[in-house]
Amino acid sequence: MNEQALLVSSGLPAAAFIVPLSAGVIVFLGGRLGRGFGQGVALLASLVTAAIGVAMVRTVVHGSVLTTWHNELRVDGLSALLVLVIGTLGFLTTLYSVRYVEQADFQQRVGVGSVERRLSVFYGLLLWFLATMTWGCVTNNIIMLWVAVEATTLTSGLLVAFFWDRRALEAGYKYLMLLTIGITFALLGCVLVYASAAATGRLDGGQALLISEVRNVAGLFPPRTAVIAVVFLIIGFGTKAGIAPFHPWLPDAHAEAPTPVSVLLSGVMIKMALYALARTVGLFFPAWPQLTVFTVALGAFTMVLGIFLALAQDDLKRLLAYSSVSQIGYVLAGVGLGTYLGCFGGLFHLLNHALFKALLFMCVGAVIYATGIRRISELGGLAKRMPITAVSFLVGALAISGFPPFNGFWSKLTVYLALAQSGLWWAAVIAVVTSLLTMVVLVRPVCRVFWSNPAGKSPGLSEVREVPAYMWIPMLVLASVCLLLGLLPNLAYPLLDQAASVLAALGR
Amino acid sequence: MNLTDIHADLIRTLSMMLVITSVATVETRRLRLAAAVYCVQALLIVALLLSFAAINPALYWWAGTAFITKVVLTPWFLFQYIGKTQETELPPWIGFGPSIVVAAILMIGFFRLTHSQVDLLAPTALAQEDVFRTNLAVALTVFVLGLYAVLTRRDAVKTVIGLCLLENGVHLSLVSLAPELPETALFGVATEVVVTVFLLLYVIAGMYQQFGTTDTWRLSELRG
Repeated sequence: MNEQALLVSSGLPAAAFIVPLSAGVIVFLGGRLGRGFGQGVALLASLVTAAIGVAMVRTVVHGSVLTTWHNELRVDGLSALLVLVIGTLGFLTTLYSVRYVEQADFQQRVGVGSVERRLSVFYGLLLWFLATMTWGCVTNNIIMLWVAVEATTLTSGLLVAFFWDRRALEAGYKYLMLLTIGITFALLGCVLVYASAAATGRLDGGQALLISEVRNVAGLFPPRTAVIAVVFLIIGFGTKAGIAPFHPWLPDAHAEAPTPVSVLLSGVMIKMALYALARTVGLFFPAWPQLTVFTVALGAFTMVLGIFLALAQDDLKRLLAYSSVSQIGYVLAGVGLGTYLGCFGGLFHLLNHALFKALLFMCVGAVIYATGIRRISELGGLAKRMPITAVSFLVGALAISGFPPFNGFWSKLTVYLALAQSGLWWAAVIAVVTSLLTMVVLVRPVCRVFWSNPAGKSPGLSEVREVPAYMWIPMLVLASVCLLLGLLPNLAYPLLDQAASVLAALGR
Repeated sequence: MNLTDIHADLIRTLSMMLVITSVATVETRRLRLAAAVYCVQALLIVALLLSFAAINPALYWWAGTAFITKVVLTPWFLFQYIGKTQETELPPWIGFGPSIVVAAILMIGFFRLTHSQVDLLAPTALAQEDVFRTNLAVALTVFVLGLYAVLTRRDAVKTVIGLCLLENGVHLSLVSLAPELPETALFGVATEVVVTVFLLLYVIAGMYQQFGTTDTWRLSELRG
């Protein structure tokens, strides 16, 4: 962190989570006013959150740090990046969901009689989910960071099980149970960090809780305690982030949740968990650079395992979920490298993956909306009927495969270069090979779903129509941003530079 | 025998009883009884926190929080939902005998660890004092017994009880590791645990309606 960072006292960090939190309360209180009320409040609140994210970014790109409540909340480049992603995708997802929830299949699965009442719960929880995620990204208190990460599990648990049928309940149970067990380890890790920081005697009382202060004394921790804390933190936050081998909850939850929730789980939530991991484990990198080999190896393992599991999937949503596991491996490999270039590439990929994975889940949602089918083998020839979805899906698939001129190309290239620069050639090779496999895994289904001959596939595909504008507008927006960041990647550089400088602990 | 010795003895006795109640909670097949034993354990934790509060007055707050969340709310939720699902636990993978052996090995192991290598887990000077070492050993034993229950039980409600033990273990370790923790952080952690238990039981009740069982082995809709 820049020693000369300009501290600015600001209300923005608090507003970032208070706005969606109170909007969620309003939605719950006004549940009787019907679905339109919940949707209106959710759209407005998520738009305001996105605007707060933009306002934060405008301040922090110049190197200042926003603080509230005596440094209890603290927003630097890294936090601002995450808040921007959460707010923007939160808004686009809410916009997308407005028509998605009107679909007949959706309403039937929710239960015809109770749709209106349950949809207000849906939007209330969605807002709280956004609020807990932004809270985690703005807090500077290590225990509160843990509380926020666990709170995202609690607010999203019922969203995962929202349909309340066998599949949804099984996914919801696994989600809540596995994440809670995993995250308990992170609590032990956070407590060890706090206790060790307090024991150094350099910080008084409450200061040992503040991550920005702990950073200065982490090198004084007893080495063995530091190793135990790192292992606990990686198990805990790694479970939440979907790092292999702690990922088994992820495909179930991401596939069975209603699509707007899948977008947020895969697009945003696992990033927020990885942010928590980077913030806490990164504390130890300056004193123990050997740890980076371990995190990079874990990242490489996650990439490979995720993509091999995705290869065998016939269910579009499960395929995307496994691909999220694989992609989070890239982010971990980059950020876990600890160098400036590694952090830059990892965070760039975090941003890009949020964009194209949200896009891909929205496209799959559009296919489900139009046809009611999730299986690749039952779909075919949709390109003529759904041209916008087809093009958006193709853009997302090419971007995630690292194909130029899309954004994924630049961030993956940066990760490869960073790995090679640090001498970890094996990891760079694994990353390149995984990227080629990603192309097979993602582009092939797009061709089969949209451009294959529909004969012999599910009947009724010939009457399919393009999804409503409320759904394709967010998709087109995301697809355009993927292309824009591919053509002009330097648009994102000022913010990524600030964010990477926060994390980069090892030589620039 | 002076007052400090009596105090240390009290803490040791309570710690032993914590391990015994943990094993009993894990091994009792009747779920209501298991929840009741869990409630007893929570009371013991409150008593332990109160006796530590003689050393550190901040722990009176902890005792109050633990009483509300662990003694009152969690068992209440458990009793509510056990009524809605089945009363007797489905037979687990590993039975009573091995569990006793596991518990004994864990406890001896952790006592040896905390008495020979205490700096490994307890970086503070305070935590290396004798009563706190005992507390840390017991906290870890309860934690791992909870983990053992979570991993080996097939009954979903019993898994939740195991999860509660896991959380109790973490809570106990805080007494040695982070006695200066501000109330807000503690309150956040304690609240979260209760909400987690409530949500899990809510989902399990839904599962019981749909699947007709709380057997986690029968959750097989999602594979591959």
